[in-house]
Amino acid sequence: MKNYRRLFAVIIAAVMALSLAACGGSDTTSGGDKSVIVGSKDFTENEIIAEIYALALEDSGFTVERKMNIAGSVVHTSITSGEIDIYPEYTGTGLISILQKEALTDQDEVYNTVKDEYDKQFSITWLDYAEANDGQGLFVAKRASDEYGITTISDLQANADKLRFASQGEFDERDDGIPGLTKVYGPFNWKSSKIYDNGLKWEVVDSDEADVAPAYTTEARLTETDKFVLLEDDKHMWPPYNLAPIVRNEVLEQYPEIAEVLNAVSATLDTETVTQLNAKVDIDGEEYEDVALEYWESIK
Amino acid sequence: MITGIAEYISTHTMQLLGQIATHTGISLFALLVAAVIGIPCGYLASRSEKAELIVSAPFEMLRVVPSLAFLILLIPVMGTGLAPTIVALTVLAVPPILLNTIVGFRTVPDFMIESAMGIGMTDKEILHKVRIPAAMPMILAGVRTALVEVFASTTLAAKIGAGGLGEIIFTGLGLNRTDLLVLGGVLTAVLSLAAGGVFDALSRRIMKYKYV
Repeated sequence: MKNYRRLFAVIIAAVMALSLAACGGSDTTSGGDKSVIVGSKDFTENEIIAEIYALALEDSGFTVERKMNIAGSVVHTSITSGEIDIYPEYTGTGLISILQKEALTDQDEVYNTVKDEYDKQFSITWLDYAEANDGQGLFVAKRASDEYGITTISDLQANADKLRFASQGEFDERDDGIPGLTKVYGPFNWKSSKIYDNGLKWEVVDSDEADVAPAYTTEARLTETDKFVLLEDDKHMWPPYNLAPIVRNEVLEQYPEIAEVLNAVSATLDTETVTQLNAKVDIDGEEYEDVALEYWESIK
Repeated sequence: MITGIAEYISTHTMQLLGQIATHTGISLFALLVAAVIGIPCGYLASRSEKAELIVSAPFEMLRVVPSLAFLILLIPVMGTGLAPTIVALTVLAVPPILLNTIVGFRTVPDFMIESAMGIGMTDKEILHKVRIPAAMPMILAGVRTALVEVFASTTLAAKIGAGGLGEIIFTGLGLNRTDLLVLGGVLTAVLSLAAGGVFDALSRRIMKYKYV
């Protein structure tokens, strides 16, 4: 009998504790007048940019909940299901991966297409895009760039027979890799072409074992401009991957001022700036929150 | 998937043959270096416990480091390409050859050596006509074990620009293309089996003194 009573007491205590916790939980989410949830994908650059959005919104009186580090394959579902309200997306990713459309190469055309389709299909708004473009690129060693005067991919094609290419394998096969480049720029008859692990490309080029390698245009090591030169895609072969905040329409209608706040942030972000922010985290080992705060302090 | 593989083979024939040749070349060369180091060291080590400890301890320690980590660790010292690949593969291949050689020489039956002495052979003759032939099956078994390990591990050479069938496998991983993964994996396995088969045929010729 005594045991039953004790069991009862425990159950009641547990139920009370749970309901208290539940109340507590709902209290915190409804706290503050204007609240939004900012998410990010699971890599450095996206986290920094999302944190800058969050800081900008906090400074204009929002209470911001952060849900960072969401896997790239899940983040779209997170925003359409309302788990997050805002995150930084890339125009090219929206066009090719989410909408599954043919690649376009004009920045405005890509932006307008995703803006229209997202609004229609998902009730999501693309705010202004930043000049910053995290797309496919090629870089050459500074010494090769100086020696042969290579600054664009056309220059590269003309001098390919003097250069050693360091691939990661997939670039030789991908439609937007060498096959696509060949169609747009003509054949690349490399002096030699070898495959290396993607993480080694900087060391390989730096130590003069290769001259050219593929990279994304905001990769941190590109800040070492005394060693590496990012080539201009002068015939616009690659689709643009401009950074832009995307917001659920429901949230934007409730707080239209979000647009102004985030557009002001986007206006300051160009490819070089974003690459430098990446370098502070990936090379100097700073925390992305600190880098974002420092940047926000410098632009607000 | 079969059509994907067939198409890849027909469009990349020369590249594939080159990769198979590089893969075989790297593997055999590493194995040769390992045999040149492992067999003499094994013979010396078989003569005393102390020598065995001195010779086998460093190789045992090195073997604990995974080959991939070893490759990357060698880059600051040796750069990329063929040299670090051969070193990493040799480190992988020496221990089985070394240990089998030691056991091979230790387990030559005493009666054989006594008989050899009895018929008046010199030490040199005993080594060449009795000890080495009697130890040979164990030594070759060690080389055979190393061969299979080396052929499989040579795929890692593609990580540091030395070529080989790993290129197909890592390209398949990057593109998320199963057909390339299967092609690279199967080719590596077939190549390893074929090399093993050729090795067995050669072994049978070498081991004419086989004592069972």
